[in-house]
Amino acid sequence: MNRKNYFNIGAALLISCVFIFSACKKYDTAFEESPDQRINTALKKYESALTGSAAGWNGTIRTQNGSIYHFHFRFNNSNRVSMFSDFNLETATTARESSYRLKSLQTPALLFDTYSYLHMLSDPDAAVNGGDYGVGLASDFEFSLDSLAADSILLTGRVHGTKLTLVKATQADFDAWQNGRWATTLAFENINNIQNYFRRLNIGGVNYEVRINSVTRTVTFTWIDGGGNTRQFTTSYYYSATGIVFATPFNTGTQTLNGLEIVSWDAANAVLNVKVSGTATTISGATKPLKVDLSAPQRWWQTAASSGGYWISFDGFHVNGVNDAFNLKSIPNYYFVVYWPNYNPGSNDLFAPVFINAAGNGLELLYGAAPRAQFTADGRAVFTNLGFYPPYPSSGPARQSLNQLLLPQGYYFVQTSPSSYDMVSSTDAKAWISLDLVQ
Amino acid sequence: MRLKFLLILLLGSVALFSCRKEDPLVVDDISGLGGDTWTQTALDKWLYDTLVVPYNIATKYKWDQSELDLNKNIVPPKEEKVIPVMRSVKRVWMDPYILQAGELFFKRYSPKLFVLAGSANWNMDGSITLGTAEGGRKIVLYLLNDFKNKTMPGYVPGDSAVPKQMFHVIHHEFAHILDQTIRRPVEFDNVTKGFYTADWINTDDYSARQDGYVTAYALSSPGEDFAEMVSIMLIEGKSGFDDIVNSITGTSVRGTTAAEAKAKLRQKESLVVNYYKQAWNIDFYTLQLRVRNAIINELY
Repeated sequence: MNRKNYFNIGAALLISCVFIFSACKKYDTAFEESPDQRINTALKKYESALTGSAAGWNGTIRTQNGSIYHFHFRFNNSNRVSMFSDFNLETATTARESSYRLKSLQTPALLFDTYSYLHMLSDPDAAVNGGDYGVGLASDFEFSLDSLAADSILLTGRVHGTKLTLVKATQADFDAWQNGRWATTLAFENINNIQNYFRRLNIGGVNYEVRINSVTRTVTFTWIDGGGNTRQFTTSYYYSATGIVFATPFNTGTQTLNGLEIVSWDAANAVLNVKVSGTATTISGATKPLKVDLSAPQRWWQTAASSGGYWISFDGFHVNGVNDAFNLKSIPNYYFVVYWPNYNPGSNDLFAPVFINAAGNGLELLYGAAPRAQFTADGRAVFTNLGFYPPYPSSGPARQSLNQLLLPQGYYFVQTSPSSYDMVSSTDAKAWISLDLVQ
Repeated sequence: MRLKFLLILLLGSVALFSCRKEDPLVVDDISGLGGDTWTQTALDKWLYDTLVVPYNIATKYKWDQSELDLNKNIVPPKEEKVIPVMRSVKRVWMDPYILQAGELFFKRYSPKLFVLAGSANWNMDGSITLGTAEGGRKIVLYLLNDFKNKTMPGYVPGDSAVPKQMFHVIHHEFAHILDQTIRRPVEFDNVTKGFYTADWINTDDYSARQDGYVTAYALSSPGEDFAEMVSIMLIEGKSGFDDIVNSITGTSVRGTTAAEAKAKLRQKESLVVNYYKQAWNIDFYTLQLRVRNAIINELY
């Protein structure tokens, strides 16, 4: 036996050892169970948690754009879920049943798999939720189950990343939905039913003008401070079982308000009863702005006249709580109504409905009125008619709109953006028109 | 010496092969294997009894994103809309074909899966898609939540647009299946040859008709033209189709006169009618009458 042979044997041994110790090793598992076993266990755990709460779950959803909505879910063990939501008055009052499913979609997931109140936020038809067409409010109804604690479950939407928090509800929470406490809270939106343009809230002797946008859920307070200056504060709000909560607390100067408690809506008098820091007060209509913007009518006229532009409104006049009160939209091919300052330079303006032409590719004026605006020292604009561009109809929506414009007491103007104004009747603030600048 | 060497190698091999994993026949309980399951409701039973048992047609009304466009925001349908929609589908599409061509024909060629969505499928340009189909097997119906027929409270004639579009989609897709099973006559493709274009989206129905196409979509290809002809003729009925043909006036931008356009549509009509007779032994005008009457009962 020579050295070479020893070497060969050594090499062969070495190779065998490599086989023995490497090939024979079982693969490492970080977990004792297989992925399938673990996902089934997780799904079972979530299912028994969801169905285990007799009074259901309080759900809070924060959509992609930051709006907060509350839900109440009751899951049963046959894939059915019953729901309340603070989305609107109906969803807060009537429970709706739909279906749900727990499914493994890479992670354990909770799917609300037929239409429910939750889907109203996601509906791509903006007419349902006031969001954007094709997206809705960018909310989810398919959620990954992130974590499970004794009385709370965290979930994340699988498409838009909406955060949903489920907290075990008490019987009192459930009752608050059932006996209409949330519906009372949602009565806050009734302040849009106050027929006056101006809505006022009195807190500690100070009047605040309140404007709400119930689609984006934002509220704006306007008031006059000690120095006589107009101040404004805007915040988004969300609902709780007792009232509305401001996303940013409102510092009035003398106190900080976290929200308003909503007591009741008095439909007969169009008054919303609320409590501010425990003190009862009301939100009701007002006929005049807190502080009249004296130069607004002239600014409004001049903005268009100096740029050669004009003011338009698609909806026409809003009167006594009715949008498009004179039914302009019923005129065939109606597009918008125009007020054109200095239409005939130095002489008269133009007020007329504008139509889409027969070919459908342009606009046309068929007739018009020739008013003139005069501005009073107390901040109103009064319109008088000097004549017509015939044939102006003697009745119907166009004539009724003109008659409204020519209201002898005239209008206050509220500037809502650099290129938009609301023109509000100075008699009772129950008639107004929103005008946008086109130039 | 050599023997020892081999023995060692052998030992190594044994070590290598003894390392087999456990019995591969032990399979985990894989979640979701075999499809989704849930507690059956009266709705599930109705769908099973009405569509699965007699025709082997499945209806998926519960949310499954994988059946729809992944990049779109779509919502599932309201449960209370499912039965009215499928009942209408049965009356307007299934029953006329079964009465006209027999159950065997229908069972053999009908698409086997309906997927239902509650909202429309919104496109980037703001338009909406109301129906799609895949491979002669699956039909997706959208906008179920807006579905109303005249038996429902608050029905106004304007509500007919949504159901009519659904019926249009189904008849269109079924015409494709027939066409793909026994090909449409070659002459059909030659009637308005030369104008087919992928740019049909920029044409409106009226301009398409001035060139002898029944809708703008018919411009996209001869196959679509055929399916559009069949579906429009069925859902509009004979007099409705006549109205479409007679409404054509003037000369198209491509230079087709009204008389030529009308003649071309009439020629396509007769080719469709002959095809149904020769290929499927179906009297098209009787079928048309049945479909249109069903739609009238449904909507007007």
